[in-house]
Amino acid sequence: MSSPLLDVWEAASASPFHPPVSKDAQFAVGFVLLLFSLVLAGVFSLNRSFINLPLLGGPASVAFGFGAVYMICAVGVYV
Amino acid sequence: MRPIPLLSSCLAALSSFAFAELNLSQPLLSKQVLPSTFKPPQVFKNANLVRTTNLDKAYPRETINVIIENIDSKPQSEYYLPFEASLISRIGGLEVKDKKDAEKGSFKVEVVEFDVESSTEFYLIHLPTPLAPKQQQTLSISYSVLSALAPVPAQIGQSDKQYVQYTFSAYTPSAYKTEKQKTKIKFPNGDIPDYTTLPADLNAEKKADPQKQGSTFTYGPYNDVPAGAEEFVSVRYEFTKPLTHASLLERDLEVSHWGGNLASEERYWVTNQGAQLKNHFSRVEWQKQSYMNPPTSALKALNLPLHPGAMDPYFTDDIGNVSTSRFRPGKKEALLELKPRYPVFGGWKYSFRVGWNADLSTYLRKLSTGDSYVLKVPFLEGPRIGEGIAYARVHLRVVLPEGAKNVKYSTTVPLVDSHNSLHKTFMDTIGRTTLELHAINLVDEFRERDLIVTYDYPWTAGYRKPIVITLGMFAVFTVAWVLGSIDTSIGKKKMA
Repeated sequence: MSSPLLDVWEAASASPFHPPVSKDAQFAVGFVLLLFSLVLAGVFSLNRSFINLPLLGGPASVAFGFGAVYMICAVGVYV
Repeated sequence: MRPIPLLSSCLAALSSFAFAELNLSQPLLSKQVLPSTFKPPQVFKNANLVRTTNLDKAYPRETINVIIENIDSKPQSEYYLPFEASLISRIGGLEVKDKKDAEKGSFKVEVVEFDVESSTEFYLIHLPTPLAPKQQQTLSISYSVLSALAPVPAQIGQSDKQYVQYTFSAYTPSAYKTEKQKTKIKFPNGDIPDYTTLPADLNAEKKADPQKQGSTFTYGPYNDVPAGAEEFVSVRYEFTKPLTHASLLERDLEVSHWGGNLASEERYWVTNQGAQLKNHFSRVEWQKQSYMNPPTSALKALNLPLHPGAMDPYFTDDIGNVSTSRFRPGKKEALLELKPRYPVFGGWKYSFRVGWNADLSTYLRKLSTGDSYVLKVPFLEGPRIGEGIAYARVHLRVVLPEGAKNVKYSTTVPLVDSHNSLHKTFMDTIGRTTLELHAINLVDEFRERDLIVTYDYPWTAGYRKPIVITLGMFAVFTVAWVLGSIDTSIGKKKMA
């Protein structure tokens, strides 16, 4: 039996969804990003200046944001 | 005397509320209320009707093959199928197909009710093309009846055989005159100690009624049965298997784009509707006989065949992890074998939850038209056991990623309710879009029916989680810098 949505499913058979980071790599990616963020935060804490806020704090925040998402996925809470 | 009809209608309205509250398994949607004087118009007749009742499983499955003929002068497309009020709330998975053209799929079917007090209610079958006068069409109507088997005797010993009784009408209930009909009953075995014998005069061939052939009985044939005629008969047969009935199944499917994961969780509230134990449960007797593995009325184990690729399964109940489970991943299917904490005898209950993860790529595809996705998942997975399992209510939730919108779905499972809501859980800011589907009176035959969901998920919505965390972290850096640059020293600042 065919329904419109089933046709949609069949039409998309060539493009299964793959996440940007596969399940096996989540821990490694999350760990590296969090470590990078920690190092930048450490450097920032040694020299807290206004110029260092976007220069070190910015990349550290972005790395922490993505790293945290991947690390949470890696430990089994799939957000 | 106006106040009296007014009062009585008020009472009727109030009683309908009470009725609705008590009987939770009543169909909720697609119900149309007809005036109390309603009688299905006599525009059809059943030229020939054969009903097959299959008692192999813990719920009777009925298949009615009927040749209907339009005896009106105009084309007709509405065929009514009557049920008793107490029975209609236990009818599950009613599907009507054209026997000669099953490829066309199921016809549209809805429940109609004309009076809360009435003892008869109807399923209304819409024929896709109206039947011209004097034309015939063969319908194949199939459904299951839940909670229909009563154990007789109601109490048995721990290793006794179990007998169950099924009561039904030898005349197939119909809103139209039936010219010729018979009912075939297929039993699981030949041990049928009791059954109602009908007088041979009723039978069209003046033969003994029922006719027996091994484990199959035939009531009828009967000629010219008027509309609404009923003749109740009972059969009692051996069924030493559990009558597994899930009063509620909650099933959650959680889609994670970041994790590439489809998480499934099912929560069951299971009852065995079989005969109760006459004496106390004897562990010694149970252990002694378990080596021989004889048939038993207790529910010992449940096997859940999961799709290949399922991983990280868990099986818990109110106490915690249940260690009596095995998981056998395989290429064809991943079998999850569960053993409840105790054998579930008649009248006993057991509630538990199982869950597992799977790769999303098997279930989710991206559409070529922008940021749209299509998800195809089984509506029901659940245990596969020989004697079957019946679900009084099924609540399915499909938790989509945060920010998904324009959700559409399609399934061949008959539903009673569906709506969208928000589900708030870890690291959510606005909550995840959730599609909630409710179905009642399903049986395990619906296991492999699919649910297809499409939704739009803009890439900007996908970055919501890391951006929120990034902003939070940046705020921490900013606060550290602001606090660090406050001068807390006492005394005058030293000038260089």
